[in-house]
Amino acid sequence: MSHLEIPSGTLDMLVLQTLARNGEMHGFEIAEAIERVSADVFRVEEGSLYPALQRLLIKGYVRAEWGRTSENRRARYYTLLAAGKRQLAQEVKQYERATVAIARILQPAMG
Amino acid sequence: MTLTLWRRLAELGRRAWYFLNRNRVTRDLEEEMRLHVELRAESLRKARVPNAESPLSTATAFSIRNDPAFHAAQKRFGNTTTIQERSRDMWGFGNLEALASDVRFAVRRLKYRRGFALSVIVVMAIGIGAVTAMFSAVDAALLRPLPFRSPEELFATSAYRVPFDDGRPENDGPARMPDLADLRRMKELASEAGAYASGAYNLADNERPIRVAVGVVTTNFFRMLGIGPLKGRVFTDAEERVGSQNVVVLSYGLWQRQYGGRDISGLRIMLGTRQHEVVGVMPRGFSFPNESDLWVPMSIPNTFATFEAFRGYIPAVTMVRLAPGVSGATAGAQTLAQMEHWYSTLDARNRKNHASGMERIRKSGTMIPLHKQLVGDRSTALYVLLGATVLLLLIACVNVTNLLLSQASARQREFALRGVLGATRVRLIRQLLTESVLLSSLGALLGVLLAPVALQMMRALMPKALAGVAAADLNLRVLVFTAVAAVLTGLAFGVGPAFRSTADGENDVLKNGGYGATAGNAGRIRRLLVSAELALTIVLLVGAGLMLRTFGEVMQRDSGLHIANVGTMQITMPGSADNRVARLRKLNDILARLDATPGIEVSGAINDLPLTGTGGISVMLQTDGPPRSKGGGPDFTRMIYASPEYFRTVGMTLLRGRAFTASDDSLAPKVVIVSRKMAEANWPGMDPIGRKVSLGEQEMTVVGVVSDVRELRLEDEAEQQMYLPLLASAPASVAIVARATMPPAALLARMTDAVRAVDRSQAVYSVRTMEDVLDSSVERRRTNALLIGTFAGLALVLASIGVFAVVSYGVSHRARELGIRAALGATGQELMHMISREMLWVTLFGVAIGLAGAWALSKTMTSLVYGVDIHDRITFVAVPIALLIPVVLATVLPARRAMRVSPSEVLRTE
Repeated sequence: MSHLEIPSGTLDMLVLQTLARNGEMHGFEIAEAIERVSADVFRVEEGSLYPALQRLLIKGYVRAEWGRTSENRRARYYTLLAAGKRQLAQEVKQYERATVAIARILQPAMG
Repeated sequence: MTLTLWRRLAELGRRAWYFLNRNRVTRDLEEEMRLHVELRAESLRKARVPNAESPLSTATAFSIRNDPAFHAAQKRFGNTTTIQERSRDMWGFGNLEALASDVRFAVRRLKYRRGFALSVIVVMAIGIGAVTAMFSAVDAALLRPLPFRSPEELFATSAYRVPFDDGRPENDGPARMPDLADLRRMKELASEAGAYASGAYNLADNERPIRVAVGVVTTNFFRMLGIGPLKGRVFTDAEERVGSQNVVVLSYGLWQRQYGGRDISGLRIMLGTRQHEVVGVMPRGFSFPNESDLWVPMSIPNTFATFEAFRGYIPAVTMVRLAPGVSGATAGAQTLAQMEHWYSTLDARNRKNHASGMERIRKSGTMIPLHKQLVGDRSTALYVLLGATVLLLLIACVNVTNLLLSQASARQREFALRGVLGATRVRLIRQLLTESVLLSSLGALLGVLLAPVALQMMRALMPKALAGVAAADLNLRVLVFTAVAAVLTGLAFGVGPAFRSTADGENDVLKNGGYGATAGNAGRIRRLLVSAELALTIVLLVGAGLMLRTFGEVMQRDSGLHIANVGTMQITMPGSADNRVARLRKLNDILARLDATPGIEVSGAINDLPLTGTGGISVMLQTDGPPRSKGGGPDFTRMIYASPEYFRTVGMTLLRGRAFTASDDSLAPKVVIVSRKMAEANWPGMDPIGRKVSLGEQEMTVVGVVSDVRELRLEDEAEQQMYLPLLASAPASVAIVARATMPPAALLARMTDAVRAVDRSQAVYSVRTMEDVLDSSVERRRTNALLIGTFAGLALVLASIGVFAVVSYGVSHRARELGIRAALGATGQELMHMISREMLWVTLFGVAIGLAGAWALSKTMTSLVYGVDIHDRITFVAVPIALLIPVVLATVLPARRAMRVSPSEVLRTE
């Protein structure tokens, strides 16, 4: 099965959720996590991850700090902030509402 | 609410931090992304060759290029540079940064093409400078609201005069026209009503007496305008009582100039013959009306004393501030109704007297917005000139567009290359537009420096009444306008070439080296643009032609005077009856001194110098001639006081009888000299000498007939004129004229010397030659013609340059085609004709459209032309001819190069 593009706008949400679940991660780890958890359906076009991370940084949803990987390489670790947690909850709620609505519209056709 | 605000501020803080740490953030991003790619490469390696101990497991620099896993990882990651840019763009200053780098790049590029850049900047400076200057004038005169409190509530009315009390009680009956006093009682219509008038006084404080402009205003004048004094106070209402007018308020300018800005308490100055106490000073910049130097209160009602220091009656403008909520239309309707009502109550005789006045009121309306009253009839000229400058700017833009288009083809290769390297079309276009706007901005900057020169020239066109109120200068509004114009202009001439330069088909362009199919297209567009340029130029030339012909027609008119070598000066003496003898003596002394001066042939005096636009008196006379059928309105005759030698001095001809002599003084029988027109009108076909003229109870005898004079304006017909001996009545204000054989400067010096020798403290003003007087009287028309002529000339130069450029471009870029034709047997002559013919069609097309446009647009100039039809045949024929000469030159000169194309050379270098 070929990989799907992540729907636009949901990348931020997925990144936040990944950080919520896993605490501190650097960019590569986040990309891997999303692929793994989504059972490899979504492949992050790895480029789009970094602009998204910058966006989250600007908005104050995550924090970034330089640290060391297990192999002692310099990497930038991102952590979820309280504001990010709040934003995540809000976005998840909106997403669920949208999904329900779409499902309802599609139901008769699937009947 | 505050949460969002706090969040926004925090975000702004973060962005600012980024701005200050841009470089570090970039480096961090690079490192981050590099790590990502390395990790991805490692994971790919592990997946493909799980057990291999690859010597590349620690990605070292030299082997990266050959590592397939690294390549794959890089590919998955994407275009690092683009992603970096996008990441940085998130921080939001990307746009600003891009703009800054665009500007830097543009500046660098322009430094390499200095000649081109300079020519564009100069062209833009001319166009934008002209538009800026005109906009400043139009804004000051027409657009900006008057600098008074709620200026939209201020109206002028010609229907309600200031009441005049001449001591005769019968003027107070029912035949009295409604006046200012009545207006003041209509509280529900007007919250305030007042009046202002402009005159001049002699200010005799220093060794050199000067003449000052005086505003004679009602005591509520300053209150009505909402302008308070800088120092002291303005007039109190008590000072409106007849006899209480010995106070004065100074303007800031006069206060500084004459009195050094000193303390005004107790300051008394001599105006005319009376001491006035200075009670206040107005703020800087206020000199309404008519650039007043000081103000005195106007008594209500006016008496003879009000006008004593002036030449007589000075017309006042009645001004009202409408009550809140009352519109101009309502006020106009109500006051008109009141006037009609009053008029209907008159008896037959009074009704006849006021008939023409009522007609005038009905036609123009009773209430006119004050702004409109002050602007008068100048608005048309200003708007037409503004239109002319916009046309000039358009022509300049078209020219520059053409210049840029010729470069567009050359740059196509460069931009195709950059497109392949990853620049988006949008980005490239943005860069080109930045370059264009930079050029036009630099041009605008230069233009702004040149604009004051143009503004000086235009002073004559500004409504005089606004001179003290709204100056046409480079204020903030105008500069903002210039900035906007610069940006719009840059975009306008840049957009076409920008799109052309970055046109698609990169592969073709790179392959063909930039020539090919697009060349023909570009040529057509450029030729079309030249047509447009020529059309616009024709419109401007027609406008200029009409104005020049008008000016010529006006100057052709015979004033009736011969004014070469004649100088003039004006003096005003104390005007009361007691001073009559003194005035007479002074005048005689001055004239005697002038006659005694070597070099001065003859001198004279008159109370109303022709062509100065001053009021003067017109009267209705009775004569003993045959009764006349009064077809039109009442018959007015201009009444003028002249000295015996006046007629000879100004070159008027004595047609019959005699001139005045010294014995025609106040004791002798009253005599008059009539103008030819008056003689014809009153005693047609008869000898007017010996006939009688009566004015009121005075009966006078005609002793001479002189030629007609166009007294007011050259455009107007001469009126009927009647001259009385100056020395019999000794008016207060007199113009002295003298004819001499010496140069003007010397003559004028002698004239002022003569006055000073007689009375040191006598103020002399308006010292100039009669030719200057004539020039002043036509100054507006001359300025009109000069300005439009200059704009049209500039347009012609630009259009010619445009034609030259297009033909040159055609010749050099069609070298291959021309070479082939030559090889096939075409002679140089034939090639030249081919190129010229093409431009001929372009020109004819442009001229045709231009003439059609000018034909339609000339209607807007109807009120500006004189003696010339707006579709004047001479102009419409001469203009295309005038255009063709430079255009033909601009075509033939570069076309001749076509003759020298060598086919073998061209075909070889491909």
